[in-house]
Amino acid sequence: MRLGGIGTRYAVWIAALAFALVSTTLVAAAFLAFRESRVVQSEIHAAVAAARTADEEEALRKTATYLGAALFNALYQLDVERLNEEIAQVRAWLPVRSFLVIDRTGHVLTDGTPANEHYGEAPPGPWPEGGPRGFQLARLGKETEIRFAIASGGVTAGWGVVTLREGPWQASLRLLEERTSAMWAGHRASLLTLGAAAFAVTLGLGLLTAVALSRSLARPLTEMSRAAGEIASGNLDHPLTLESTDELGDLARALNRMAGDLRVHEEALRAERADLAAKNAELERFTYTVSHDLKSPLVTIRGFAGLAGTDLASGDLARVRQDLGRIVAAADKMHRLLDDLLELSRVGRVVHPPEDVPLADLAREAVELVKGQLGQNLVVVDIAPDLPVVRADRRRLLEALQNLVENAAKFAAGRPDPRVTVGARQDGDERVFFVRDNGRGIEPRFLERVFDLFEKLDPAVEGTGVGLALVRRIVEAHGGRVWAESEGLGHGATFCFTLPRA
Amino acid sequence: MSRPATALAAVVSAALLAAPGLFAATGAPVPVHLGVIAEEPNEPDRMLRAYGETVARLRERLAPVDVAMGDLVVARDLDDLSQRLVRGDVDFVIETVFPTLVLQERSRSLDPALVAVRRGQRAYRSVFFTRRDAPYRTLADLRGHTLVLQALRSTSAFALPKAEMARAGITVLPSDDPHAGRNDVRYVLAGAEINQAIWVLQGKGDAGAFNEGDWAALPEKVRAQLRIFHETRPIVRGLLSFRTGLAAGVRTKVEEALLALDDDEAGRAALSRASELTRFERLTAADRRELRGWAPILRPSRSR
Repeated sequence: MRLGGIGTRYAVWIAALAFALVSTTLVAAAFLAFRESRVVQSEIHAAVAAARTADEEEALRKTATYLGAALFNALYQLDVERLNEEIAQVRAWLPVRSFLVIDRTGHVLTDGTPANEHYGEAPPGPWPEGGPRGFQLARLGKETEIRFAIASGGVTAGWGVVTLREGPWQASLRLLEERTSAMWAGHRASLLTLGAAAFAVTLGLGLLTAVALSRSLARPLTEMSRAAGEIASGNLDHPLTLESTDELGDLARALNRMAGDLRVHEEALRAERADLAAKNAELERFTYTVSHDLKSPLVTIRGFAGLAGTDLASGDLARVRQDLGRIVAAADKMHRLLDDLLELSRVGRVVHPPEDVPLADLAREAVELVKGQLGQNLVVVDIAPDLPVVRADRRRLLEALQNLVENAAKFAAGRPDPRVTVGARQDGDERVFFVRDNGRGIEPRFLERVFDLFEKLDPAVEGTGVGLALVRRIVEAHGGRVWAESEGLGHGATFCFTLPRA
Repeated sequence: MSRPATALAAVVSAALLAAPGLFAATGAPVPVHLGVIAEEPNEPDRMLRAYGETVARLRERLAPVDVAMGDLVVARDLDDLSQRLVRGDVDFVIETVFPTLVLQERSRSLDPALVAVRRGQRAYRSVFFTRRDAPYRTLADLRGHTLVLQALRSTSAFALPKAEMARAGITVLPSDDPHAGRNDVRYVLAGAEINQAIWVLQGKGDAGAFNEGDWAALPEKVRAQLRIFHETRPIVRGLLSFRTGLAAGVRTKVEEALLALDDDEAGRAALSRASELTRFERLTAADRRELRGWAPILRPSRSR
């Protein structure tokens, strides 16, 4: 789960919004329920109280009338035990706090209890008369006191004073109040429980929303941010894996395309940079070599020019002619060097359109160009009949083959059976062309150097040391490779090259 | 006849003689019945509720000894109970001394056997009381005045006070008796002990008499306005008497069951519900002498 950054903000906002909506709804519902409950409760109380108060007074009047008659005989006969039994019965069905039976002298005869603690007391009057009007009712806070005459046939034997803790209807109202209050409390508890549950659900939904948002929105954005960082730091090998079809998916795919393009450009740039570095190195070597090898004939010319002056002063014309001959030879060598350098510079700079070239024909043409040298050295050249057709700059490729054959002939010369072979072989899925000789061979440590400019393993051998460098330049200009193979001195050498398939 | 044969004959004869009292014609035990008098003639259910547990406990204890306990017999009054005794419908009776003596005289078939201890009292006495400011100091001071008693069948609140007056040579007559003289004491019946006290205080009588337990139970404010000026000798609290025709063996087993009734909690609870009885004890020789002393005075033939 991710709760940082944009995910947290969205989650918090949506969760807060959901919570606010649910809470507001709940509070509104609770307020309405509370208010309606209280209103209903109050209206019920008012209606019941109004209806019952009158009923209660009438009921109490009838009760007093009944008691006034029921207690008469016992009081008249001073039968306290019976009075107590009657009072006990009244206590069984009315909420009596005290029940006093007053005799005609105004003193308490009995309060209905075994202790009869109020015996002899004289409660204050006035006392009601007998008959239908012989009833008094007084409200004493929650309590109700009724006074009634205990009378019969116009004779008043005494009075009764009954204090009720609360009237029957008041008891009903209180019961109603208790019940409705309990119901109200239960209602409130239910609402609180519901509110707590809603709170928990809202919180849970908020968290789920946060998680969902974090996964659906924040994660892709964060992933894209990370990917952009990787791209900015040059790491282009971690494509985004978003499969959504929305704008985020489009953005991710655009980022991937951009990273791919950058990767291609970077690879090209890297290749060019490497190429440039190689060329710089070669140029450095070239400069060094050229300056060194061109300097050599100049030194020779200068040296023999000085000698020629000395010989001329001494009148030794024969020696002067020898000195001039040396000077001319050095100048010729310098001229050949410059021609070869010019030719080398043309490779890669002067480009002819590629064409299909039958390699066997081209090999025969190259052999023809160096026929004089071959014949002079009695070198036999074999050209493989199954050489393929390649697509190349025909003139340059002819130039390369000519140099390879010429080079092979030079080193094969002097051998008992000088022979040069032009052929091709299959190395894996690569077609390798070669020019092989059975000459003196090359020490393995020199196999790499033979292609360097002006590199001559044997100074006695004729040549400027540019031919193999030219071969390498031509093959590489075609996108191929060139290398030398030899098992050492006395085992001949094979010069191989490859060309891209036509 | 040999001695074993004689013994066997005696056993058989005894068994034959006892059989009618023990078994019915079918061989099943004949049930014995306890008789009481309803405090309110029209409310026999009160006594049934009060004595029901005691009868049940007795039934449990008598069944193993082959005595069947029958239902409680609630008589309307003394005459009713007397007749039931004569007919053999009732086999033993629980009553106070005075009603017991009346039944004994009327039925000629009742023999007191056990003392019924009530509220922990084996014996009690009656007290004479008057208003604290009244001038009466002796029984003789009551001549020409009115005595408030409870009810005719009460021992401590009627018979005993009346007998005590008689022993003092004072005649006690109903208040409306036209033969009452100036030296006689008239009586009125208040129906309840609390009424006796109130009537004395309210002037409907000059003095009252009931037992010492009733005096102690008066409300404090009421008792404070009264004083005792005479007390009788003690008398047993209650009596359990057997019908004389009851087989001796059965009587013995019932007696043993009654005497053992307070051995356990269930029995004590049953006794307590039955007019607050505590236990039964055997009537001693002294008790019997005391009863014989009271009998001539208490018997209703001496009162009117």
